[in-house]
Amino acid sequence: MSTPAPCDGRRVTAYVDGALRPEARLEVEAHLAHCPLCRDQEAFERGLRERLHGLAAPDVPLGLEDRVRRRLRRRPAPAFVRWLPVAAVLALAVLWGRGAAPFVAWELTRDHFHCFGQERLPAQVWTSDAGEIAAWYREHGTELPLVPSSAGGLELVGGRFCPLLDRRVAHLYYEGDKRRLSLYVVPGPARFARAFQIRVRGENVRLMRTGGITVALISEDLQTVDAFNRALSVSVARAAAR
Amino acid sequence: MTREERFEAEALPHLRALYGTAYRMTRNAHDAEDLVQETFLRAFRSFDRYQPGTNIRAWLFTILHRARTDSFRRHARSPQTVELTGDGPAVPPAQEALAAAGEDIVRAMEALPEVFRTAVVLRDLEDFSYDEIARILEVPIGTVMSRIHRGRALIRVALARRPA
Repeated sequence: MSTPAPCDGRRVTAYVDGALRPEARLEVEAHLAHCPLCRDQEAFERGLRERLHGLAAPDVPLGLEDRVRRRLRRRPAPAFVRWLPVAAVLALAVLWGRGAAPFVAWELTRDHFHCFGQERLPAQVWTSDAGEIAAWYREHGTELPLVPSSAGGLELVGGRFCPLLDRRVAHLYYEGDKRRLSLYVVPGPARFARAFQIRVRGENVRLMRTGGITVALISEDLQTVDAFNRALSVSVARAAAR
Repeated sequence: MTREERFEAEALPHLRALYGTAYRMTRNAHDAEDLVQETFLRAFRSFDRYQPGTNIRAWLFTILHRARTDSFRRHARSPQTVELTGDGPAVPPAQEALAAAGEDIVRAMEALPEVFRTAVVLRDLEDFSYDEIARILEVPIGTVMSRIHRGRALIRVALARRPA
C-alpha cells in the first residue's frame, strides 16, 4: 500500500479551479478521500467562489461610457492646425516688418485700447510739456517730431515706450473733455503714400509723415485726429521756416 | 467601419467588468474610473497590435493591470506584497466561515493585500483561467496558484476574526 501524499493546500486550490492535469487531479482526489482537513479547505473554497460570484458588481458611475467615448474621440489636432498659431505669428511678423499700413494701424489700435483700458495709464513719464517729453524720449534714444502740448482741447498727459513685435514705439497720451488720443512715433518702415486712414474697432487711425518721421494718431473722435494732424503740420512748417 | 468604431464595438462591452475589477483593485470609485479611462485610452492606442478574434477580454485586463502597476510606479509605491509563512491562526470550519454575511465577505476581500485580491478577483469574480491570469499579471502559473490559495486562506482567516 502506498504512503498517503502529504497535504498540499495549493494543489487543492488548483483542484477546485480545475487547473490540474488529469494525473495530478487523481492524486488530489485520492488524498481528499482520507484527509478531512483538505476536504474542509475544498468545501470552503468552492463555497467562497459561489458567495463571491453572488456578490453584486459595483455600480458603474453614471455616464462613464460616454466619458470614455469622448476621450477616445479627442484626437490630437492635425499637424496644420497645431502649427496655425506659429504660422499666424510669423505672418504678423512679416506684415509688421514690411510695414503694411493696415496691419500697423491694427496693431497700434490694439495697444491704444490696452493702455486706455487700464484704470491708470501705464505711463513711464508724466508731463504736460511737449519740450520735456521730447527731452525724455531723446535721452532714451528716440527723436520725436515737434509734438504739440495740446490740440483740439486735449492736453499731453505723459508717455511710454511700448514694445510691438520687434520695435520700441514711442506712445504719447493726450486726454481732455472725455476724449483721448494716442500719438505713436513709428520707427522702421510703414508703407503708405502721403497719408493713410482707417477705422479700426470704432477708432480713427491716421498714419502720416511729419518732418520725415512716421506718426500714427488714434482717437474715437475724427475732429480730434484732424486737430492733431494740423498742429503737427503747422509746427513742422514753422520749424522749417525758421 | 472605422478603426474607432471597431474598437468601440469590441472593447466597450467589457467596460462593466473592467470597472468592477478596477473598483476591487483601487477600492474607490474615483481611482477606478481613472484606471478604466486610462485602460481604454491605452487599448485604443495599441488596438493595431490586437489580433481580431483572439481574447479581447484578457487583452483588456492585461492593459488594466499594467496601467495599475504604472500608477503605483508613478507614485513610487508598489502593491503591498506579503509572504506568509506557516499555517497562520486557526480557521473556522468551512460551513461556519461561509455563513458570514455578504458584506463581511466583501470586507474580508477588500482587506487582502492587493496582489492576492487581484488574483482572487480575476479568478472568482471574472472566471479567468490560471493561464489567462498568468498572462494578465505577467507571472508564472505557479505564482497565480499561490496567490489565489493565499488570498482565499486570508479571507477565511478574516472571516474567523469578524466580530460575532
